[in-house]
Amino acid sequence: TASNELQPLESMISDAERFKNSEYLTLQCSCGSSFKFGGIQASKDYMITHHGVQCNRCSTNFSNLRVTSQLEKIIRANISLYYSGWLYCDDVTCGIVTRQISVYGRRCIGHSGKAHGCKGIMRYRYSDKQLYNQLLFFDSIFDVDKAKKRSLKPLYEEQGEEDKENVKPITQGALDALCEQNRDFFDICRGVINRYLNNSGRRYVDMGSIFEFMVPEQKA
Amino acid sequence: DSKKFKFKTMRQKLLESADVLDDQIDSFANIIQQHYQFDSFVFGNPAIASQNEIVAIGRIVPDSPLIPQDAILNSDSLYLETSRLNGIGQRVPLNLKNIENYSFFLGQIVCLKGLNPTGESFVVKEIIQLPLLGAPVTSKKELKEFNKLQQNQSIKIIVCSGPYTSNSNLDFTYLVDLVERINNEIKPHLVIMLGPFIDITHPKIADGSIEIPNLSKQPDTLQDIMKTTVSPILKTINNKIQVLIIPSLKDVNSNHCAYPQDSLDKKLLALPKNFKCFPNPCSFQINEILIGISNNDIFKDLKDVTRGDSDKQNRFDRIANHIIEQRRYYPLFPGSMKTKKVNSIQNNINKNEYSTKEEELIEHISGADLDIPYLGLSEFSDVIPDILIIPSELRFFARVVKNVVVINPSNFMRQNSPGTYVVLSISPPDLGENGLTKIDENKTTNEDDQLYIHDVWKRARVDIFKT
Ligand SMILES: [Zn+2]
Ligand SMILES: [Zn+2]
Repeated sequence: TASNELQPLESMISDAERFKNSEYLTLQCSCGSSFKFGGIQASKDYMITHHGVQCNRCSTNFSNLRVTSQLEKIIRANISLYYSGWLYCDDVTCGIVTRQISVYGRRCIGHSGKAHGCKGIMRYRYSDKQLYNQLLFFDSIFDVDKAKKRSLKPLYEEQGEEDKENVKPITQGALDALCEQNRDFFDICRGVINRYLNNSGRRYVDMGSIFEFMVPEQKA
Repeated sequence: DSKKFKFKTMRQKLLESADVLDDQIDSFANIIQQHYQFDSFVFGNPAIASQNEIVAIGRIVPDSPLIPQDAILNSDSLYLETSRLNGIGQRVPLNLKNIENYSFFLGQIVCLKGLNPTGESFVVKEIIQLPLLGAPVTSKKELKEFNKLQQNQSIKIIVCSGPYTSNSNLDFTYLVDLVERINNEIKPHLVIMLGPFIDITHPKIADGSIEIPNLSKQPDTLQDIMKTTVSPILKTINNKIQVLIIPSLKDVNSNHCAYPQDSLDKKLLALPKNFKCFPNPCSFQINEILIGISNNDIFKDLKDVTRGDSDKQNRFDRIANHIIEQRRYYPLFPGSMKTKKVNSIQNNINKNEYSTKEEELIEHISGADLDIPYLGLSEFSDVIPDILIIPSELRFFARVVKNVVVINPSNFMRQNSPGTYVVLSISPPDLGENGLTKIDENKTTNEDDQLYIHDVWKRARVDIFKT
């Protein structure tokens, strides 16, 4: 039910937690280097300069179009994957993954293909909530205010010491400056993502839930 | 009604999808019942054993839920899915050994006569043809008016379908040449342009190596390319010529990434008055002529299992026949899907793993992207269009199937070479003795009320041009 999906504390949880299962944006440089891009934070693969993303391997600056076109391509591949409609059966002894849908929707058609026998429940493997969250994650990495507050999903796990050693942290002064210098372009990137978020039925569901949450509970 | 295409995407509910799939079976059951006037007791559940012949209506589905997308089906791999009402949604193996001639595909709604003697499989004895929708008709009075309007001249229509650049660049020179020919040579009444205009799966976009030639400042986003590069070319089409723009699921400029697909936003594309943006699919009339258009490659995607005469028939004719019978532009289910095998090393970046183990992973690229709860919008209305335009990346063709002119203009630009487009000319309706077919049932005292079938297939000429 809708109330189960209510997550009133969603805005309180960190991006690291909220976007735990989201896929990184992978950027490809003209030199062939390909790396995960996590916004304005320290990375061993790229640097943010006063005009955008720079590849650490070849020191080339990415053109705006190089970033936005790869971003948009990944968004579209995610939406198309969502629409490929893969389902899975939640009964572990069955566990089929299929694009077949029974006329009952949640009923499993089973390994037999005869739509009886398995009591498992079918669900979309890539749910609309996951897709929505994925788009929100892409939006977050271009959010310079989050970057300033160092609240972006980190590129490296705490345990990934090896990576951390090679990465020089950005000082707060430099971080603030970089955020302002890149704000306009990052807003253009957010514009790309928001074109899709605005067409997502999920966005309006979420607004509804927030509204419900704000309505004070009736006392019996 | 184009407003219905404005639904929000990315919010499919499984139960709503199932409702639509169930309803497809039951609504054909009603159509068949009304058409053949069968007694209701002849209908039965093909999944349970019975000693009497029954009539069963259902969907063709595969024998396994795990069947790969590119699997080649055969007559032993088909099941029939029943509706909730007809057979509590059960699926039963089909035994087709008694049937000499057939063409079946996944998602097809079929009506079969036969029996299930052991409970194991439904032995088909006869395929009962699905009744067809009627052809559109128009009164003599209206036809006379249309003739006057077009001054007894043929109607000329250009149809072209993206991509409009080759795979190696985003150079629209060939589109510039087409506009030149539109304005100075062909001078059509209408230009129908189908996307993709900027293809999200273009290799230069995928790796970000995109560059737009002849621009002092490169655009910031893919969406800007339409405004800075494509729209300025399109705007030079003579403003007396009507232009119709229909999107593709691969169009960067669409943010409605699902089929049925909402029209592009004319204002955002900065296109002038003589341009109209229609949804995908759509149908509309030019005078009396009803044109149906769908931009989802069913001719490539639909792979059928055939036997007998069907097997010898032209494949495009067979598929066009299925579209007409099924009354919808994309009857295949599940829809197609394009994927790529990728080396795990690159993909591990995404998965946040650093294993160097070589394993093949599948990357999703594109697909038919069906929004199942809204598939009703991809059904024919109450008649069969006179002309069906369904672009395919397969070779161009124009064929007459069930008196419908079926056209695939193919791609305007192919991967590494120029492609094709179509010029369609339709002569004005002839109301003389040997002209359009009169509808006899329509007994009327007033001559002007006499109804005619349009017989567009007798009046149309399709020329295919190299880009
Ligand atoms: Zn580089
Ligand atoms: Zn199961």
